[in-house]
Amino acid sequence: MSFKTASEGYVRYQGLGNWAFVLHRLTGLGVILFLIIHVLDTAAVYFIPSLYVDAVALYRSPVFGLGEILLVLSIIYHGLNGLRVIYFDMINPDMWTIEINRKSVIWTWVITLVLWLPAAVVMGSHILEHLGG
Amino acid sequence: MTTQTKRVEVPQGWEAFAWKWMRYSGVLIFILAWIHVLIQDILVGVYQIDTSYVAARWNGGFWRVYDFLLLFFAFSHGMNGTRQVLADYIHSEGGRRALNWILLILWAIVVVVGTITIFAFTPPAG
Ligand code: HEM
Ligand code: HEM
Repeated sequence: MSFKTASEGYVRYQGLGNWAFVLHRLTGLGVILFLIIHVLDTAAVYFIPSLYVDAVALYRSPVFGLGEILLVLSIIYHGLNGLRVIYFDMINPDMWTIEINRKSVIWTWVITLVLWLPAAVVMGSHILEHLGG
Repeated sequence: MTTQTKRVEVPQGWEAFAWKWMRYSGVLIFILAWIHVLIQDILVGVYQIDTSYVAARWNGGFWRVYDFLLLFFAFSHGMNGTRQVLADYIHSEGGRRALNWILLILWAIVVVVGTITIFAFTPPAG
């Protein structure tokens, strides 16, 4: 599947704003996929308690650990960019110009990284502490 | 290069409601999901999560109601978002109608299963 609508189909616009939109889409889809799995594995705690232990054990593997670090990046970016879009759409639509959009996208990425890096360090050190048992 | 913005009239209807829904729910989830992830994934971490951890958190009503609100708003936001994305690739009326029904059913199943989990859970004995 290509991002036809976004980057080459109906609108030919490949500025930063378009990348912000594509990333918003990918992170949103990533989080909803996780959330479906997450609600179902949490359901085990009530429906099949013995299985809950196994489900959480999966999350403790290093591969899932890396996945969780990416999940946190997705939630931070999607949330911040979402607030930016909401502010433009609902409160100040005059900000939807290419120049302002561009600047605000860069700021969104900067703040995302500033918030994500410490979280990634904390989570990464949890993974390292538990490597090999 | 300068650009000009232009205001347009949007017909009010179901899709306009869905559009607003994404924005109002977004503000709420911003608070609910970030706090949830900060506590569960970053501060506590999966290495300390097990059945008795969940039992302790769901001991009172507060986190049960919190988790329910998170479930309802985040899941409804995410499923409607998925609907919007897929509708960009499905162009026939019938295809979109089928898509809406499939996602609505999936939405209902997961919300019901999640809600039962949150409110019916009682700590296992021992
Ligand atoms: C953290 C707070 C969040 C905020 C502020 C937020 C905000 C938004 C906004 C404003 C949109 C509409 C974008 C547009 O029309 O271009 C959107 C779309 C979307 N959101 Fe969220 N959201 C949040 C959390 C979530 C979560 C937790 C999920 C998944 C469960 C999610 C999944 C999606 C999806 C799949 C879309 C559709 C993307 C698209 O149409 O390209 N969002 N979000
Ligand atoms: C990997 C990071 C995460 C961890 C370790 C985690 C952990 C947990 C745990 C232990 C519970 C059980 C109930 C409780 O203790 O309150 C829970 C429930 C829940 N979580 Fe998360 N969570 C994570 C990410 C997320 C995200 C990103 C979302 C939403 C966008 C989310 C939404 C929910 C919901 C809706 C419930 C209630 C589920 C139900 O209906 O049974 N979680 N989570």
